[in-house]
Amino acid sequence: MGSMEIKDIKEQILTSQNVCILPETEEDLETKEMILNMGPQHPATHGVLRLVLKLDGEEIVDMEPHIGYLHRGIEKLMESKTYAQALPLTDRLDYISSPANNTAYAIAIEKLFGIEAPIRAKFIRTIFCEMSRICSHLLWLATHSLDIGAMTVFLYCFREREWLLDLFEMTVGARLLTNFARIGGVRCDISPEFVQGLREFTKVFPSRVQEYETLLTKNPIWLERTVGIAQISAEDALNWGLTGPCLRGSGVDYDLRRDCPYDAYPYVKFHVPLGKNGDVYDRYLCRMEELRQSNEIIKQLLDQLPDGQTVADDAPDLVIPTPPRQVEAAGSVASAFITLSKERKMINTGDLYSAVEVPKGELGIYVVSDGSGKPYRLRLRTPSFVHISAMPVLSIGHMVADIIAIIGSIDIVLGESDK
Amino acid sequence: MKVQKLIRDVLLVEWFRGLSVTFRTMLKKPVTRLYPHVKRQPFPGFRGRQALVRDPDKLKERCIMCLRCKTVCPSNCIIVEVGKDENNARVLKNYSIDATRCIYCGYCVEVCPVNAIVLTEHYEYLGDKRSDLFFTKEKLLSNWDEFLANYPGDAYFNKFWRPPGMPEKMLTPQKRNEKPIEIKKKNEEIA
Repeated sequence: MGSMEIKDIKEQILTSQNVCILPETEEDLETKEMILNMGPQHPATHGVLRLVLKLDGEEIVDMEPHIGYLHRGIEKLMESKTYAQALPLTDRLDYISSPANNTAYAIAIEKLFGIEAPIRAKFIRTIFCEMSRICSHLLWLATHSLDIGAMTVFLYCFREREWLLDLFEMTVGARLLTNFARIGGVRCDISPEFVQGLREFTKVFPSRVQEYETLLTKNPIWLERTVGIAQISAEDALNWGLTGPCLRGSGVDYDLRRDCPYDAYPYVKFHVPLGKNGDVYDRYLCRMEELRQSNEIIKQLLDQLPDGQTVADDAPDLVIPTPPRQVEAAGSVASAFITLSKERKMINTGDLYSAVEVPKGELGIYVVSDGSGKPYRLRLRTPSFVHISAMPVLSIGHMVADIIAIIGSIDIVLGESDK
Repeated sequence: MKVQKLIRDVLLVEWFRGLSVTFRTMLKKPVTRLYPHVKRQPFPGFRGRQALVRDPDKLKERCIMCLRCKTVCPSNCIIVEVGKDENNARVLKNYSIDATRCIYCGYCVEVCPVNAIVLTEHYEYLGDKRSDLFFTKEKLLSNWDEFLANYPGDAYFNKFWRPPGMPEKMLTPQKRNEKPIEIKKKNEEIA
């Protein structure tokens, strides 16, 4: 009975005229452009990034990134929190290098309050910044190589990252969302065990970087997938506002750590690696060299580590008094509150922009203060957001498979871009 | 130069160099742990489950109802209910923490003037319902007892009660003079 049915169907297909359309003109032979939706749930988009690709066969004709799937309204939320309460929110921006974000925020607010962190706190903050840079670059290398097809590197990178996360936990009691800095210093001093552990790490780490390089740098598969992909000239990179290793991969010598040094960077010497072609491979080489340089910076900082307290004497208490904001109400009431906080010499009115080199690029914080204990407006210039906007320029003309390499090479974190 | 590259490509030199790294790693000890069977003790100061400190002398909570923890909490997860007893004195009617909202920043531990609240090193806890993770005063005190019962050391002191590196004058007298809480003595008293 079954065989009869199949025979009937076959006959129907053969006799039917609608099943197969034979090409009659040359136009019918051309490939039609196709729109492909990639993400937001795609393992290689490093989070919840959605890309709408227009394809001509395998080639990308046009593309449009869609963001906002991880939007938590951090900027708006900060307006309803005091300056100290807003600090844990910066952890959630670039959640794989929290200490660097904490430091960026703390530096901005310290400038606003007109206080200066003690020298030991500055050193500790810089050490943590560089540790988080290594953490971030290791996670980038792990996922980038996994996307392209090198699984072993993924496992090796997590081995070293675990070591650093343990050191974070030893000092502040958290591994990822450290909430480490504090306005006017750091929350916890580092212990001798921490210094010893970090010294051991800095001794071992260069050989580990050598291991990753042995696996990748001259590997023919790696070279095929990365060299010449997503080239961007120095001029274009500047015009698109790229920062960090993405800009340095194109050969622009720009690093905030060296050009406008903050915290303890004036005390160390390091070399800023530059690329030539601005392709995926050069950005990879830049980051690999940065891993070594960060290791050198940590070594120098540990050697010079001064003694002293880690919180400034005039640092504000965690409980910042917040008079109710009555800007629209009678002027006398509002001004009375402002004078109150001015008398305590805590909060200045005005606005300022402060930028810091985080692992992904330049993290800028623009803060407007109205004299109350909360920021009137706080704008975050996050590198991932800018880098995603340059995705179309980087990817047009390449194949679908190269999208994976390109997303990996600009090193985005969606928590940072969506805010 | 080109010949050299050709020989390298034919003999797969780079490939074997890479494979030698993986082979060497195969001979090393694994870095992973078999988690439920092998556990690592968290470092002192790990920010885990919330608890209210039971005073070793009075056997009740230390809280003095100053509301500093409630004020500083960034996620508004602390609820403090203050009432009055027959002598018109303030008493703590209830103190609850919504653990599903808590972000474990540790600010409450740091600002408490009498070290009444703590984020313990206990991290393995869960609930089937949301109400399981809504800790009332009794639950927070029992969290503390449970934590001390399983604590390996003789005395306990939380790092955030007196953060290292903090100048003395920024701390309240009780925070300055806080001694580690001895565990054995307390267990004997209950027994």
